[in-house]
Amino acid sequence: MARPAADGSVSLRLSSNGLKAGDTEKNGFHNKKEVFSPGNGVASRPQKHEPFEQAPMYVAVMTYLGFGIVTLFGYLRDFLRAVGLEKCHLAQEREEQKDFIPLYQDFENFYTRNLYMRVRDNWNRPICSLPGPVFDLMERVSDDYNWTFRFTGKTLHNVINMGSYNYLGFAENNVDFLKTVADKVNQYGTGVCSTRQEIGNLSIHEELEGLVANFLGVESAMIYGMGFATNSMNIPALVGKGCLILSDELNHTSLILGARLSAATIRVFKHNNMHSLERMLREAVCSGQPRTHRPWKKILIMVEGIYSMEGSVVRLPEIVALKKKYKAYLYLDEAHSIGAVGPSGKGVTELFNVNPTDIDVMMGTFTKSFGAAGGYIAGKKELVDYLRSYSHSAVYATAMSPPITEQILRALKCIMGKDGTTEGLRRIHQLAENTRFFRAKLKEMGFIIYGNDDSPVVPILLYMPGKVVAFAREMLERRIGVVVVGFPATPITEARARFCLSAAHTRDMLNQVLHHLNEVGDTLCLKFSRRKYTSRPDLCAETNLELDS
Amino acid sequence: MGLSECWKQLSWIYYQYLLVTALYMLEPWERTVFNSLLVSVGAMAVYTCYVFMPQHIMAILHYFEVVQ
Repeated sequence: MARPAADGSVSLRLSSNGLKAGDTEKNGFHNKKEVFSPGNGVASRPQKHEPFEQAPMYVAVMTYLGFGIVTLFGYLRDFLRAVGLEKCHLAQEREEQKDFIPLYQDFENFYTRNLYMRVRDNWNRPICSLPGPVFDLMERVSDDYNWTFRFTGKTLHNVINMGSYNYLGFAENNVDFLKTVADKVNQYGTGVCSTRQEIGNLSIHEELEGLVANFLGVESAMIYGMGFATNSMNIPALVGKGCLILSDELNHTSLILGARLSAATIRVFKHNNMHSLERMLREAVCSGQPRTHRPWKKILIMVEGIYSMEGSVVRLPEIVALKKKYKAYLYLDEAHSIGAVGPSGKGVTELFNVNPTDIDVMMGTFTKSFGAAGGYIAGKKELVDYLRSYSHSAVYATAMSPPITEQILRALKCIMGKDGTTEGLRRIHQLAENTRFFRAKLKEMGFIIYGNDDSPVVPILLYMPGKVVAFAREMLERRIGVVVVGFPATPITEARARFCLSAAHTRDMLNQVLHHLNEVGDTLCLKFSRRKYTSRPDLCAETNLELDS
Repeated sequence: MGLSECWKQLSWIYYQYLLVTALYMLEPWERTVFNSLLVSVGAMAVYTCYVFMPQHIMAILHYFEVVQ
């Protein structure tokens, strides 16, 4: 399952007004690299080099070795369980049912039984405070190698939180900030008890939809109670049988589920690879549907703003150019990028200076940067009005709860500056600064990191299963909570630790984390990078040809 | 202290070995099983070298006509 690392290098396009490298100020924000051309909707900012560095060969060999050994011992343990020498902690059928069709398929759970169970104390850790920049954990121990847990009663206080999607720090319990939310609970209660179409359309929902449309710069928007359901329930309303979906290799499960539910034909193009996408578009337009060769009813390109496992950013200007050339539609999922990138938090459209009306369907969630729950779909008025009637989520799912709606409203007003303070802008700048600082320091230390320099999601590659587990445990001992991800969510050889930066992290906290990361990196030998990074930003623009891998 | 320094270094190397071979994730008795297997295979290899190396070296030297 190892996928070869795609080289994300980009060809430098010189627009008609040329490119200048230098220091400029935009919104009080120093951009050391390039100048934005006048905003006429034409994107001319070249993308920064996004390397997906490959680890040395010995690392891949050792990763396979580690997995091989654990798999062998897994077979041994399964044998012992089957023979009866060892107690089986899993669900088993009753003796009388042994002749029936097996209820619990044994081999499918091999990985869960034999790898995950051994080390599952690193996941599902119970938290007993709000997930701000620091949080409290409940300490738990296991007596039988993680089959059961018990709480010791001790709480670990002030563990630095590097795993929550709290990009702008809105997961807070400051009484002053939350006063409006408390007022709305008094006014509307906490439950809506109905769907949007029936009797659950509150005035606060309309207010939020207007504000979201205003924020994104589009005609109209619609909000939904659950972020995952926004994707999975609305894509079937937009495309159907006879349509083609071109989806990126690393799209999120909600997008894949929505695409499969819609019964459209799905084709996958290589991650962020414009050659692959263009080839598929040409082939789709020329050959049409598989057997009949009729033209496709619709071609929908599905991409995400920031991919949460890699931290890479979509190449929006190129995709928009391709979509216009081949007359396809674009569905942009900005779950991680709305509020987190862009000089004023408006997402990847602002980052690349692309006109929002060029994107047909803009989708996003409120779970990450806004500290609430739910999602939205925005675009032209006809599109959103259609979705109000035809989307499963609008017709059958309960509407968003009033205190959550008010939390999103206050967060949006803060970001847009409508509450009269510059708090929103300060948070966005703080996040951008934290991101740059953290990424630069990690590269200097010698870790392999994926992703664009602007994205607040920083995955550090750990590769070997033993090191993944040891990393999580060591960091917890040093009072830092990290999220490590392994096989089913990532390719088998590329296990990683994913750091999510927040505007609420102070420079002190980041320095502390970096100091401990340095120590743990040395103790566990995690510094695989073979590049030499300096702290100077490189001033020369290189011309790289895109590699078609 | 030279000895405790040496002991620390050795135990760090053992830790790296546990991490790389993913023995870190396994239970103590499984580690014992694997280590014993590895040690016995290593010991057999060393013994074989000890028994057969002189004959092999003589055969090579004979082939290259260094010694009759």
